[in-house]
Amino acid sequence: MSEIAVRCEGLVKTFSDTGALNGLSLDVVKGEILALIGPSGCGKTTLLRLITGVAKPDAGSIEVGGRVMVSPERFVPPEFRRVGMVFQNYALFPHLSVAANIAYGLHGADKDDQVAAMLQLVGLSGYADRMPNELSGGEQQRVALARAMGPRPDVLLLDEPFSNLDSGQRVHVRNEVRAILRMSGATAIFVTHHQEEALFMGDRIAVQHQGSIQQVGNPGDVFGNPATRFVATFMGETDFLPGEVTAEGVQTEIGLLQSTHPVNVGDQVEVAVRADDVRIAPDPTSGAIVLTREYRGMVNVYRVRLPSGRFIHSLQRHTVRIAPATPVRVLMDPGHELACFINSN
Amino acid sequence: MCKIRFHNTVSSTKMILYSLIVSGLFVASCQPEVVEVVKEVPVEKVVEVEKVVEVDSAPGSLVVYSGRSEKLVQPIIDQFAAASGIEVEVKYGKTAEMAAVLLEEGNNSPADVFWAQDPGGLGAVAEAGMFADLPADVLANVDSKFQSKNGNWVGVSGRARVIVYNTATIDPEKDLPSDLWGFVEPEWKGRLGWAPTNGSFQAMVTALRSTWGEDKTKEWLQGIMANDVGVYPKNTPQVAAAAAGEIDVGFVNHYYLHRFIAAEGENFKARNYFLTGGGPGSLVMVAGVGRIDTGANEDNAMKFINFLLSPVAQQYFAGQTYEYPLVEGVKIHRELTPIAELPKIDIDLSDLVDLQGTVDLLTEVGALE
Amino acid sequence: MIFFFRNTSPVKVVLWFTGALVASLLLLPIGYLLLRASEAGDSIWSILFSYRTARILLKTVYLAVAVTLGSALVAVPIAWLTVRTDLPMRRLWAILTTLPLVVPSYVGAYLFISVLGPRGILQQWLEPLGVKELPKLYGFPGAFLVLTLLSYPYILTTTRAALMRMNPVLEEASRNLGDGPWGTFWRITLPQLRPGLAAGGLLVALYVLRDFGAVSFMRYSTFTRVLYIQYQSSFDRTGAAVLALVLILLTLLVLFIEIRTRGRANYYGGHVGAVGNPIQIKLGHWRWPSLFFCAGIVVLSLVLPASILAYWLFREINITMSYSSLWMSAWNSLFASGLASGLVLLASIPVAWLSVRKKGRFAILLERISYSAFALPGIVVALALVFFGANYANPIYQTVYLLLFGYLIMFLPQAVGALRTSFLQISPSIEQAARTLGKNPLMVFRTITVPVSWSGIAAGIGLVFLTVMKELPITLILGPLGFSTLATSVWSAVEEAMFGAAAAPALLLILLSSVPMASIILRESLN
Repeated sequence: MSEIAVRCEGLVKTFSDTGALNGLSLDVVKGEILALIGPSGCGKTTLLRLITGVAKPDAGSIEVGGRVMVSPERFVPPEFRRVGMVFQNYALFPHLSVAANIAYGLHGADKDDQVAAMLQLVGLSGYADRMPNELSGGEQQRVALARAMGPRPDVLLLDEPFSNLDSGQRVHVRNEVRAILRMSGATAIFVTHHQEEALFMGDRIAVQHQGSIQQVGNPGDVFGNPATRFVATFMGETDFLPGEVTAEGVQTEIGLLQSTHPVNVGDQVEVAVRADDVRIAPDPTSGAIVLTREYRGMVNVYRVRLPSGRFIHSLQRHTVRIAPATPVRVLMDPGHELACFINSN
Repeated sequence: MCKIRFHNTVSSTKMILYSLIVSGLFVASCQPEVVEVVKEVPVEKVVEVEKVVEVDSAPGSLVVYSGRSEKLVQPIIDQFAAASGIEVEVKYGKTAEMAAVLLEEGNNSPADVFWAQDPGGLGAVAEAGMFADLPADVLANVDSKFQSKNGNWVGVSGRARVIVYNTATIDPEKDLPSDLWGFVEPEWKGRLGWAPTNGSFQAMVTALRSTWGEDKTKEWLQGIMANDVGVYPKNTPQVAAAAAGEIDVGFVNHYYLHRFIAAEGENFKARNYFLTGGGPGSLVMVAGVGRIDTGANEDNAMKFINFLLSPVAQQYFAGQTYEYPLVEGVKIHRELTPIAELPKIDIDLSDLVDLQGTVDLLTEVGALE
Repeated sequence: MIFFFRNTSPVKVVLWFTGALVASLLLLPIGYLLLRASEAGDSIWSILFSYRTARILLKTVYLAVAVTLGSALVAVPIAWLTVRTDLPMRRLWAILTTLPLVVPSYVGAYLFISVLGPRGILQQWLEPLGVKELPKLYGFPGAFLVLTLLSYPYILTTTRAALMRMNPVLEEASRNLGDGPWGTFWRITLPQLRPGLAAGGLLVALYVLRDFGAVSFMRYSTFTRVLYIQYQSSFDRTGAAVLALVLILLTLLVLFIEIRTRGRANYYGGHVGAVGNPIQIKLGHWRWPSLFFCAGIVVLSLVLPASILAYWLFREINITMSYSSLWMSAWNSLFASGLASGLVLLASIPVAWLSVRKKGRFAILLERISYSAFALPGIVVALALVFFGANYANPIYQTVYLLLFGYLIMFLPQAVGALRTSFLQISPSIEQAARTLGKNPLMVFRTITVPVSWSGIAAGIGLVFLTVMKELPITLILGPLGFSTLATSVWSAVEEAMFGAAAAPALLLILLSSVPMASIILRESLN
């Protein structure tokens, strides 16, 4: 079994507004990048604050690198935790140069060498004497990363580190950051609310919602086999089609679908259908009709109204052109089993 | 607790001279004795020989709370300290504030002596029972008009209420009335100034109340106010305003004028006028001194009070601060009208105790706004 | 309590403890006032609930509001010009415009009357030109003019500090969105300055409430003047205490308004934790009017008083002056002001920090209490300390310790205001980042918080230093026996119309005050 770098158990933190945790548990394996994803206000940042030690949970425990950081008997202040943090706003010290920012957490006689090594790692050699305000957003980001990694923390936390970058920089910087983390073999918790970013960065993905973890797993698992209706919604553009479980599969408005989830015959369920699973073809006899077409470069997303009045989305290659108001036939062609959830209504 | 050092401002150029005198005394004296000090009194340019004080072998210290300003009295305190060898520590402030401090301190006051600018402040402290009775021989130096009835404070120097006028616009012989009442005439509209919060002014109003009665005093106050009197926070700006021609006439104490003349020269465009008809408008007020009963240095306090009533100190007040000496036989400044020639009024300062009544009256007519 | 402390870092305990201690000490004057007020006779109540008092109260509030607005109108342009534009000799203007704060209000008022009064110097100059009468100075115009010109530096210092720490990205964003420099100033810069403006405005308003010198010279009746009359004329401490409690109520009102102005926004820059190089605005043809404005304010508030003082000094140059006592007073002034600014700064740190970082009720209460005594006239605070000092703390009575404590009570809000503003502009994540890099809270404070908020800290030190330099009633009453400062020397001379004797210490007061101000301002522009 792989070594656990961070173990959170039963964390509770109550706030009057958003960001509360109610009994959250999570393990992070040594050397992995765990992408923590969830909507705004789900408590992601709260979790990071608890792990760094700038906030204290109402209940629960936290271990980092095998040491108990928080328990009912113990609270280790942030400076003794060996937890690095890259802040959303980078939080560079405005009065210190790049080198001094990185050196801030370092000790020992070879401090300068360490700084130089970190600068080289993040590709900023030659920037040592610049002040933070003389750097671009991406450069500031890398300084923040170098500063956090400098003291070789047991775990590195990154709080939406790319959210202040433009989309061009974003792709570039996240490639770099992933490479740097990989190279250094660091354990990292990477917080984001972007599905795509989580899938790209994470060795594993943890989906957080309303103060607890809904599902943890590798990206394929979480994407392809969502454990809850929320995960299905959040990880990809998902429509839900109501249906009834029969011996052959789930009977829905658009036909018989196969489900992965254990359900009993006769259950009323909702099947999670992603846009890339749905094919459409013009058919004047069909009751379904294209409402809008959304260009997304290589693909188009069509919004289709089914005879029942429900909506479903379909993803098509850009070469397929169907005008709005065209009646279409809707086919399911997933090539895999679909997730379905007991209809609570 | 560490000791933080700070400097006392007791030194002056004259210090060296006195130190020499005093150290000479120390050599000679093993037991208390009376010494003679030769003193030069600067203004009058007369050399006088005076019995000053007894110098003790261990002179000790003295704490004075002074409502009189440092600029006026520090030189004479320095003289006392130098001649007696007593280490004198002084706290300066406004008389009312010093009185309030004494009242707050109560029995824990470090003060030995309270030297106040006016009888009001002395009265407040006396009323709280904080003054010790002064010996009869001390009180005997000064006219009984200028001391407390109970004998717990005594006047040290005097000042007269006067009219200060602008010399360019006023001919005192023919323009100025013979008593205060004359200023309610409409011809004075927009030409008058007063300082209704000033202690001496209020003492004058108290005197008006006791001679004229409440109604007439009130009528007078209202008459002055009807003449759009200019309100000043104290006497000095009033004198300056009179000289500048901002007002033609102001109700002030006599000595500020002489200080202005000393500073600005004989061209200063204001002079004093003593009301020929007398009355409270020519009231003589005093600055006085009392001994705090709980003070630790009773002997030194008495030495100090005696010193203030000695000819040396009295001469200082006459020569340097342009005040009236209250002890017989001391020459007044040549610019002053002798106190005996002032229009006589028959008021004891200790009768002027009803300050609250005066404040109430001033408030009632709206003079304190 | 044990439970409370168990998981709390020792630093936090120290912070809370110091904060609570400071606050409880600050309550001394109020305790004293309640004690005295409880002994008050009936007459004071009839004074208190009279139509006249209500009218004076209104006049006081009116003056406070007018002077605060007037000071903002003077201070904000100067702050902006000296921080953000290419105004020639910016640093010199920055130093000179802060100095009027050391001119005691009674001296200022006296000087203004001798120049602008009905028969003042100006009138005499204009007489040959046929000007028979100047606009009325006495009353509201004079009080407004003097108080505005002497207290605008409060707003200037806090606003300058805020401007210097403001994230220029916001201004750039506004320019980017199509606003011109003026639009940006009104819509972005000014709202961002709100905490600084509010802190400075609070100090100005409270200063007006407690001022006695200027209003009495200018014949404008305020509440403090009525209070002084209680002491001066009636020797009535109990009545004065009742009136002082009303002043505290007024202070609460002002504090309430300030909280509303403060708003709930966070003021640390939106995303980059760093403060960039601000865009320096080219004044272009506004250069001369701007220079004229700064010069005009400096001439009115500093050059004019200083030259009259110099004139007095030369007129009586022959008067024998005791230089040694002048130097001693100067030394005492520097010594007391220096020590007081250090002490006040130390005490204000926990109060300001807690109120910014812990937004709990207790922290807010703590900060509010620190303002409670600020609108009290010095005499009231001094007497409160005389009462407690003489009767309950005799060993430190009439020592420099009690004097410093008096300064602390009077001037803490000045430092708290300035510090609070600058702490507000530090993003908490910067401090947290430092914690995660292995530094304990004290080191974080020393290596991050202090350097980053230095401009605010310096402003706080400067304000306290300047105001202690000119402080009078506390110095007179609580100072050790024989302790005289430049301010007491000035007062003592002016009191007796010895203007030549007043001129030397007054000029020295201005001169000595300019040295630390210059070093603070030069240092800030190096950063």
